[in-house]
Amino acid sequence: MKRVLLYVGLALAAATFVYPFVWMLAATFKPPLESGTLSIIPDNPTFDNYRAMWDRAPVGRALLNSLAVATTITIAVLVTSSITAYAMTRLEFGLKKVALAVNVAVLLIPGQLTLIPNYALIVKLGWVDSYAALIVPFVFNSTAILILRQFFQQIPKSLVDSARLDGMSELRILFTLFWPLSRPALATVGLVTFMGSWNEVLWPLLVVRQQTKMTMPQLLTVFTLGGGAGQLGVQLAAAMVLIVPIVVAYGFLQRYFIESMAGAGVKG
Amino acid sequence: MASVTFDHITKRYTTATIVDDLSLEVKDGELLILLGGSGCGKSTTLRMLAGLETVTSGKIRIGERDVTSLAPRDRDVAMVFQDYALYPHLTARENIALGLKLRKTAQAEIDKRVSWAAEVLGLGPLLDRRPKDMSGGQRQRVAMGRAMVREPSVFLFDEPLSNLDAKLRGQMRVEIGRLQKRLGTTLLYVTHDQVEAMTLGDRLVLLDGGKIQQMGRPMDIYRAPANRFVAGFIGSPPMNFFEGKITDGVFVSESLVVPLPESRRPKKSDGPVTLGIRAEDVGVAREGFTGPEVTGKLATHERLGASTLLHLEVGKDKLVAAVPADVEAKLDDNMTVVIDADRVHLFGADGQSLFA
Repeated sequence: MKRVLLYVGLALAAATFVYPFVWMLAATFKPPLESGTLSIIPDNPTFDNYRAMWDRAPVGRALLNSLAVATTITIAVLVTSSITAYAMTRLEFGLKKVALAVNVAVLLIPGQLTLIPNYALIVKLGWVDSYAALIVPFVFNSTAILILRQFFQQIPKSLVDSARLDGMSELRILFTLFWPLSRPALATVGLVTFMGSWNEVLWPLLVVRQQTKMTMPQLLTVFTLGGGAGQLGVQLAAAMVLIVPIVVAYGFLQRYFIESMAGAGVKG
Repeated sequence: MASVTFDHITKRYTTATIVDDLSLEVKDGELLILLGGSGCGKSTTLRMLAGLETVTSGKIRIGERDVTSLAPRDRDVAMVFQDYALYPHLTARENIALGLKLRKTAQAEIDKRVSWAAEVLGLGPLLDRRPKDMSGGQRQRVAMGRAMVREPSVFLFDEPLSNLDAKLRGQMRVEIGRLQKRLGTTLLYVTHDQVEAMTLGDRLVLLDGGKIQQMGRPMDIYRAPANRFVAGFIGSPPMNFFEGKITDGVFVSESLVVPLPESRRPKKSDGPVTLGIRAEDVGVAREGFTGPEVTGKLATHERLGASTLLHLEVGKDKLVAAVPADVEAKLDDNMTVVIDADRVHLFGADGQSLFA
């Protein structure tokens, strides 16, 4: 009996999380008159909302822009932050501690604070309305460096020694030895970076005006706030399109989170 | 194959000197043991030879080649690590072959050498397993195979058996010795375990505080330690020491009086002297084993099976004697033992042997 109550409680809790999402998904398939109801099964299912969204805004282009920007940033962050984390954990150089302190200090500066100087810089560089403006400011990420640094520290020193004796260059050690051993950390960093960049609204709003260069969340914001979307169903359809890639990305990377560190240990 | 020369090598960090002006020649094909406690500089010496640590001053040569500033991969050495350092994401075969692949060795040659190493080390059935599916001993074998196939000028073993259990350690010790004889490759072997050092090495170098304390054949060092540190480090149980002085050919301390035979009288013996005697050179009086006697209270005894160690309290001093297992001993009883005066060691105030 206790068990039943527990499951009922848990099911209710789960429902409160899942219901709004399911309702939203259902609403995108409802005609305008129905969209205010709380039901999660449309009485008269229709694709009109998606069709309207597609007709009124360059959604395809925005999705491609978002994908290109987020993917480029993610790959760049994985490369730059792992190189930095490797240097911080495995190479000897002066100011190593200073570099770490600066890296941590950067974390403490809120993004809003650097928004204006960054914007001024982009204008100076003539990068307004370019992909460079959307990508370059994000290719170095101090959080990613710290996460990978923590992870790299656990890889035994002897493994690096051994690789050096085997004749590997430092970059080769990083990409053929550290990367395979750090899949969970790389997946975490990759997913967090991808999501952050995919969802970024404020920065694109500042540096991009041309509709053809807009990312999906930016377009969605402009589209909704500008009244272009009209009905609720169309707005939700646009939001749905925004969410799907993230869910798919998570689906792919999720198994790496589960992959435990057991395989990475070298000690018996 | 090659000789190795350390020419006045020093390794200094900002706060400490780890290796202090060390000079050493390792002959071609020799198995040389670097022995010492932790922090003595033995591993650092090995790592400097491998190129994994920089040298503060001095030169290292392998054969005629000065390797002091070469990258590890250009030194033609292979190393076996205490924690094996196998690549966890590769199989045993891939682990062994990787060094050859990186050196662009032909695949046929790689296959040949991997099968050879697998055969010599009995790795056949394990080749397609990953390190996590192997036991410690098996991993150690793979690590050795990885070093072997490279056919390096010099093997470097850094405490390779420390992570294994005692039985396996004994077995692997024998195997390493046999393997080195068979391959004839120069091998530097770092250990803190004196049993390994005594049984395995052609020659032994005992380090302390970054300096060589003594080098030579293991038994020579055991029989004639150059100083008090060496005398106390080599041998189990450790040597017994008594502080005193020598007057008219008789060593006298608070708890011990030992008339020294002619052969054991040092030329110079003024000032304080330490007498050292190994446990096996102290025993119960029996036929053919007589000498100066000493009486003490039996504090504890350790029965080892073949023999028994008696721990006696002689005044303020402690004395350990190794006696046959059938000797009757009761705790807290007074026991009289005999010291073999022909086997005593004497050290001056500076710790150096008075027979050197």
